[in-house]
Amino acid sequence: MKMDSILLMAYVDGELSAEECQEVEKEIAVSPEAAEFVAQLQTARLPYAEAFAQQKLPPVPDSLTRTVAAMARAHAQRTATPGANDATVAPDAFAPPSAAARSRLRIAPQWLAVAFVAGLFCYGAGMRYLPGLGSGPNATPPATLAAANPEASSWVAAAAGYQQLYSRETVAQVPVNAEVTAQTVNEIQHQDGLDVRIPDLRAAGLTFKRVQRLRFHDKPLVQIVYLPPQGGPIALCVMKEARPDAALAEQHIDSMNVVTWRHADLSYALIGKPEGTDLSALAKHISDSNVQTLFGDAGVSMVAAN
Amino acid sequence: MRLSASHNTCVAAKTPDTQQGTMSTTGSDLPSLLPALLPRLWAFALRISGDRHDAEDLVQRACVRALERAHQLQPGTSALSWMFTIVHSTWISELRARSRRNRSSTAWDDDMLETVADPAMRTPEENAINSQIVSAVCQLPEAQRVVMLLVAVEGLSYIEAAEVLEVPIGTVMSRLSRARQTIGALFGVRDSQRAKVAVSSKDPVS
Repeated sequence: MKMDSILLMAYVDGELSAEECQEVEKEIAVSPEAAEFVAQLQTARLPYAEAFAQQKLPPVPDSLTRTVAAMARAHAQRTATPGANDATVAPDAFAPPSAAARSRLRIAPQWLAVAFVAGLFCYGAGMRYLPGLGSGPNATPPATLAAANPEASSWVAAAAGYQQLYSRETVAQVPVNAEVTAQTVNEIQHQDGLDVRIPDLRAAGLTFKRVQRLRFHDKPLVQIVYLPPQGGPIALCVMKEARPDAALAEQHIDSMNVVTWRHADLSYALIGKPEGTDLSALAKHISDSNVQTLFGDAGVSMVAAN
Repeated sequence: MRLSASHNTCVAAKTPDTQQGTMSTTGSDLPSLLPALLPRLWAFALRISGDRHDAEDLVQRACVRALERAHQLQPGTSALSWMFTIVHSTWISELRARSRRNRSSTAWDDDMLETVADPAMRTPEENAINSQIVSAVCQLPEAQRVVMLLVAVEGLSYIEAAEVLEVPIGTVMSRLSRARQTIGALFGVRDSQRAKVAVSSKDPVS
């Protein structure tokens, strides 16, 4: 075909001048190939937008709406009050944000931690007031969540919601800095007053990636992130709650499995995707103190943890 | 070339109006705009990824990236087409990462090829044609499919589509012409099999 296909398309779409149209029509008259091309393009003038408007698409998942709203709100707050997140997030709580790493969401940006804090308000409200909260047809209703004590469990829901944002790539590339980790654990133990240490879960195939000091309702929340051999990261989150010990309990929050327990005034939540690692078995190992410690033994009495 | 800035005429009339609401925005407006853009970002992500879990992950990542770069959103730029750019480039990165990991690309969720019948407004034949149109676009090769989604479905101009895809405008047009040629050939066969299809090539609905 001598004539440019783009010119022929413009002809079909009526975008050419009278003069240009004549040129094209001359070509069509002598070139069966051009004539066929034009016929095909004319046939393809279909009501695409209308057809796609009728397409059966699943609705926007509630979890996505919530997450984006929380991110947008946190970002707006951050923009409005520069440095606002300094008050809620320790500066050393995140791995160094190199430009290259940020580009693919390899690490969570600092303001996302604020989204986490901001998000808990809508999350907690959603948990309490929406009966059928869940994403997609296979979502398990958060039946047990917040049933006994909404206040106590809302941090677990918020932590699980935050954990959902993490993909494997989010943490896979984060280098483990032993010095920073040891310092963070020291701050958790001495400034936050939480007798938390980093369990060594290598026996279960989990590689320690990062520990972060977050805040929930202005109280310290520790998030320890591990990477299993496959699948999304697994987090062990800890908050201080001066309440009686509680046995292991498993629940589902959105798409996450969560195993919770309480020991020595510390509430634990082990959070991960349902596939892969057996969280209950892992939680039992941790709660039985059946694991070695990677960081945090120095300066803390072993008796307190056992 | 005159046509370079024009909208594809096979697009429904919604084009300029739907984008007007997101025009003349700046980065600081982005947080307030995102929730409203979400349904269209979700639909676009579903259509390019073909999987609801991928789509959810994709939109989340794109929103994170967009908010981080909100200052780069120039006044007068359509926030929607800027968001499409980020959704698309995030998806391309993901596809590359997957092929590096030797994983297959997405399998299409067949449910998404269905359209909702609307008995009050349409004849069964029109509903059937809508399904065929969706199916025909979904079966196009990746690059052509995305161009059709942006131009014919989302109503972007060739220039906007070129910006979203980060390719020259000529590439957009040649992909579009190939896509329409394929669809035309497909519907041409159907045309000749049946006496006449309700959607006439001489009188497009749009």
